[in-house]
Amino acid sequence: MNTVDASEHYELGATDLAPSLLTIVIDTNPHAWDILEESLPLSKAIANILVFINAHLACNYANEIAVVASHTHKAAWLYPSQTLSHSTDQDGDISMSTDTTPQPNKYRPFRIVEDQVTRNLKELMESTTPDHLRGNTSTMLAGALTLALSHINRRTIAWAEEHGGANPDDAPAEGTAPSNRYSASNEDEKLQSRILIVSVSGSSDSAHQYIPVMNSIFACQRLHIPIDVCKLSGDAVFLQQACDATKGVYMSLAEPRGLLQYLMMAFLPDQRSRRHLVLPTRVDVDFRAACFCHRRVVDVGFVCSICLSIFCEPPPGSECLTCGTHLDAGNYNSKPALLPRKKKKKKKVNGASGAGTPISVSTPGS
Amino acid sequence: MASATSRPLEYLEGLPGTTFYKLYQQPSTALAIFRRMLPDLAKCFVMALLYQKDPLPTADLEIWVSSDSKKERDNAISILGRLHVLSTTLTGENVRAYVLTNPFAASLRQALMGAEDSQSFGMFSRAPEHLQTSVADLDEYARQQWEGVMGYMVGTSAFSGQRETVNLSKGVKQLLQAGHLVELRGNRVDITKDGFGFVLQDVNTQVWHILILYVESAEAIGMDSVEVLSFLFLLSSLELGQSYDKSHLTPNQTRTLADLTDFGIVYQNDADPTRFYPTRLATTLTSDSSALSNPVTGSLTGPAGQTGGSGSGFIIIETNYRLYAYTSSPLQISLISLFTNLKYRFPNLVTGKITRQSVRRAIEMGITADQIISYLLSHAHPQLRKHSAAQPSNKGVPASILPPTVTDQIRLWQLERDRLRATAGFLFKDFTSLAEYQAPCQYAAEIGVLVWKSDRKRMFFVTRHEQVAMYLRNQKAGGR
Amino acid sequence: MADSDEEYVGDVTEDEDELQVTRGDNPRAKKRKQRGGAEWELSRTWETLVEGADGTISSTVEGLLEANKRKRLLKDTTPLQRGIIRHLILIIDLSQSMSEKDLRPTRYLLTLRYAQEFVREFFEQNPISQLGVLGLRDGLALRVSDMSGNPTEHLTAIQALKTQDPKGLPSLQNGLEMARGALFHTPSHGTREVLIIFGSLLSSDPGDIHQTIGTLISDKVRVGVVGLAAQVAICRELCTKTNGGDETAYGVALNEQHFRELMMDVTTPPAAYSQKESASSLLMMGFPSRTVETAPSLCACHSKPSRGGYLCSRCNSKVCNLPAECPSCGLTLILSTHLARSYHHLFPLINWIEVPWRRASKSSACFACGISFPSVPPEDQWLVTESQTKGMSVSSRYECTACHSHFCIDCDLFAHEVVHNCPGCQSKGAE
Repeated sequence: MNTVDASEHYELGATDLAPSLLTIVIDTNPHAWDILEESLPLSKAIANILVFINAHLACNYANEIAVVASHTHKAAWLYPSQTLSHSTDQDGDISMSTDTTPQPNKYRPFRIVEDQVTRNLKELMESTTPDHLRGNTSTMLAGALTLALSHINRRTIAWAEEHGGANPDDAPAEGTAPSNRYSASNEDEKLQSRILIVSVSGSSDSAHQYIPVMNSIFACQRLHIPIDVCKLSGDAVFLQQACDATKGVYMSLAEPRGLLQYLMMAFLPDQRSRRHLVLPTRVDVDFRAACFCHRRVVDVGFVCSICLSIFCEPPPGSECLTCGTHLDAGNYNSKPALLPRKKKKKKKVNGASGAGTPISVSTPGS
Repeated sequence: MASATSRPLEYLEGLPGTTFYKLYQQPSTALAIFRRMLPDLAKCFVMALLYQKDPLPTADLEIWVSSDSKKERDNAISILGRLHVLSTTLTGENVRAYVLTNPFAASLRQALMGAEDSQSFGMFSRAPEHLQTSVADLDEYARQQWEGVMGYMVGTSAFSGQRETVNLSKGVKQLLQAGHLVELRGNRVDITKDGFGFVLQDVNTQVWHILILYVESAEAIGMDSVEVLSFLFLLSSLELGQSYDKSHLTPNQTRTLADLTDFGIVYQNDADPTRFYPTRLATTLTSDSSALSNPVTGSLTGPAGQTGGSGSGFIIIETNYRLYAYTSSPLQISLISLFTNLKYRFPNLVTGKITRQSVRRAIEMGITADQIISYLLSHAHPQLRKHSAAQPSNKGVPASILPPTVTDQIRLWQLERDRLRATAGFLFKDFTSLAEYQAPCQYAAEIGVLVWKSDRKRMFFVTRHEQVAMYLRNQKAGGR
Repeated sequence: MADSDEEYVGDVTEDEDELQVTRGDNPRAKKRKQRGGAEWELSRTWETLVEGADGTISSTVEGLLEANKRKRLLKDTTPLQRGIIRHLILIIDLSQSMSEKDLRPTRYLLTLRYAQEFVREFFEQNPISQLGVLGLRDGLALRVSDMSGNPTEHLTAIQALKTQDPKGLPSLQNGLEMARGALFHTPSHGTREVLIIFGSLLSSDPGDIHQTIGTLISDKVRVGVVGLAAQVAICRELCTKTNGGDETAYGVALNEQHFRELMMDVTTPPAAYSQKESASSLLMMGFPSRTVETAPSLCACHSKPSRGGYLCSRCNSKVCNLPAECPSCGLTLILSTHLARSYHHLFPLINWIEVPWRRASKSSACFACGISFPSVPPEDQWLVTESQTKGMSVSSRYECTACHSHFCIDCDLFAHEVVHNCPGCQSKGAE
């Protein structure tokens, strides 16, 4: 019973579990919500999301939340408010805002989040002019993701400092390479962050954001932050790939009215609980790429070896449209020549040995 | 979840179902129980079921949980059952299904959505404040009171004359005696074995311990334990640094409030009798012990007024059993000296060495090796934590914070002495067939109550029998 | 018996005469104290400390920390043409000298560990590249793993080395010749690189290594060396010549950290020298989608039964891992995400600039994470603080020159090293 074995003294540490930080990116693109007006108006969706946020906060005393709106012309914080510059104090508690309307029927942290989210959302909507909407049907997903990641980074550093975990700040002083610094050695002891994207816009409009979105996705992948996607309408190739790359949950809701139940069931469990649960994932992921020239979705394409731009057909004039390099369009897919052509080295220092014949020296003993 | 949750959980489990029914009327109680008492997986179940109209068939739940985590699932469901949160019903098609019990589900929904006029989360005091009470003041007050209680138990006043003595009320002393944490021998206060275990725990666990003691004793002095309990849960959902109105409280609650003031859990200003302030001890009640970033414990260790900043740890322990504690608190020093041979004392540092003798001495006093280790762990210096976090974890097992040699050796020293351990529980025997024996035995193992079994004798021993008995009954019913 | 013994000894001496031992210029003198030669210089860290107004040095220390963070950041961000499709041979010294314990736990074990990290990071950064691993032991070059784009193969091969011991002398020439052979057939649009981790101070070669260097130059193979002991003249010559006169490809590790950095630097795709040198071409690639079958079938690449896989978009053969070359039709199969992963090398995020107090008042908090900045002090104090450490912003603000948002140092670091996006530019949109 009291055997002292290697496994036992780890158990104490195992109870020391870190809270989780959930960052919700809400796509507030008015064009897309307009289509959904019938089944699930934005106001109702926000109400559902707020209950979901409360449920997340209820799960653990130290759980944290952040909400970013991805609007048509900008990405903005809904919570914590950027105007209240120190929105979180040392505990991650909500700082005392002065507008206290006494309401004894609601747990205070819940109410503060709700107040801020609705107020900021209202401001955002009021600041949107018809000009912003005209001719701009996409959503600033890349910006929202980048903001979310910056916040996660900040909270992770702060949390590690408070709890004496691996302190990322020390690493640069010693000169650790970034890969090591940002991939934690110990998953359970750092702040468990994840991102939920409530998406309504289609992806085809945001093709111009392809590179920044992909950059954010790779950052998530490196930091082991799952991206969950709750798709209310349309279907987005990027987001499918995002979930696949970061091992998040992708759900395309057949019935948007049931949003709350979907949120509670599939998106509430944090990383630790997910290990025990079978969560809905997509088995078939669309990995096809969009070509840079006509925005066509292709399954066989031509790639510039210099800048990796994808084309659906050899570009006119054999010149890459992105970087302008002249491409040997003729020999794409050709096998390498048996004797590679000798080319002049641009900066050759020691010309003497340049033309030396290859000597075939067998290794001793071989 | 280790010792941290078990104590209040055990107490609550012992309550009759009707008490739960009354308790769950309050949204704050439902929220607090949900947050504090349930394991992660159970929380997922509750949330998934909360907004579902129809009961969830048991088979569906089983599919939802991955097959490797059967043990965790059964454990979660067992705890939910014991707390009267989850019950099973039969659906229309005669399928067994899980459903949340009603007052709990309704209250939790209310907590999340904020509806109706329950005043479950406290009334702010609206009167203008004459005396501003800052968070730092509250922390200081809580620290002073709590350290006073600890000091009373350990008897630190003996070797530190300079510190201000906190006047403990008679009620506090009686409560400590009633809980067998201290014994009164003539004029002297002697700490008991339980008391040693108590003082080595982290603050959050200690507060819960005291509160449970308080609730238990409340009945004796004529208060309704349900009322006291739900008041405690209400306290836990209040906001630090805010003052609350007392005029809405019942007389019993006011009385409880006065008692809790002595422990530093709430603060009342004598000059202003209409309001009270919850301190950090109260507002962090529903947090996990680790989530409490410990400004209170942090300041408990340091000299008065100097808050510990971030992180609470102050103990460094080396693989050669040397211990360095950066503290000047007489309480902490006397705690460390319980199991360490102290060598030097500097203004902000004491050093010593953990030896076989010192540990044995502690064990003879009734302190267990696990208590020592958990004390060291919860007060480990940030440097130690940083070091262990920097270590590459091998095969997913995190590197331990304390040197493994030291923890193992402390356990071995205990083993030298301690070869028997008594566990209270129930023996199941006389099974007619092996199959009949195996099924409940396996079930008991899955819900985590199995202590011992013998396949040959077809017996097994469990710490609690209700669910196993239920399981056996169900089996019998199913067999027929 | 005695006869044969004699003969054997004779053989050995003869052999030694033939061997052209290439030594470092003065190995013994450099061996301990001056490791790293010119790179190592005494830095008087204490002299940079200045007491703050409150008599402590905490403000200066903080400043130094921040400057340190920043220093690592300020790299060249001119968008260079880079060799994204790389062919690299990693040569690991497995000779006796690797058993030295000056790097913890031993040079050998540390090198293998870093080599594994290197392989992972290499494929992370260069997903459509190829890698091969060779070892130098007992005067021979030994093949550890073949050229392939699959990291796990290399990782297991390197892992297997851990059970063996370093032995004998290394031969740079043999290693280079074998690497050259392996790189000979690689297509011309990719780079050809060799990275040598070299712990010894000598190379015991069967022929003239200078000739080998010559052929390497003509085959356009670039060689980089990470030395573990001291600078060796032949290594420097090798690096300089094969890199067109650029000496930076040769580095000698000062300590474990530095060793790691030197290796990890190589994972960044190298800049292409000129358009002439690298023949750019258009590559045909397939972007298959993932399928899951109800019944397992054999994959075309390993002939192993599996359920999931990717179907070649041209001939519908099933491969189990990407990136790969379709085994039946030879089409390069790749995920579009793999391509996208390299984009940040091609379009790097511009460096942000320090913000003087003069312009600091326009922001009070970091645009991205919301941490508050120190408030602007009265004007007469500006000069005092501005004379502090170079490279850090006095006002703790850093500005993106494109969107003029202000950020804190942590977000600066994070944006440049991890996300490669500017939070400001991305969230303000095209206005």
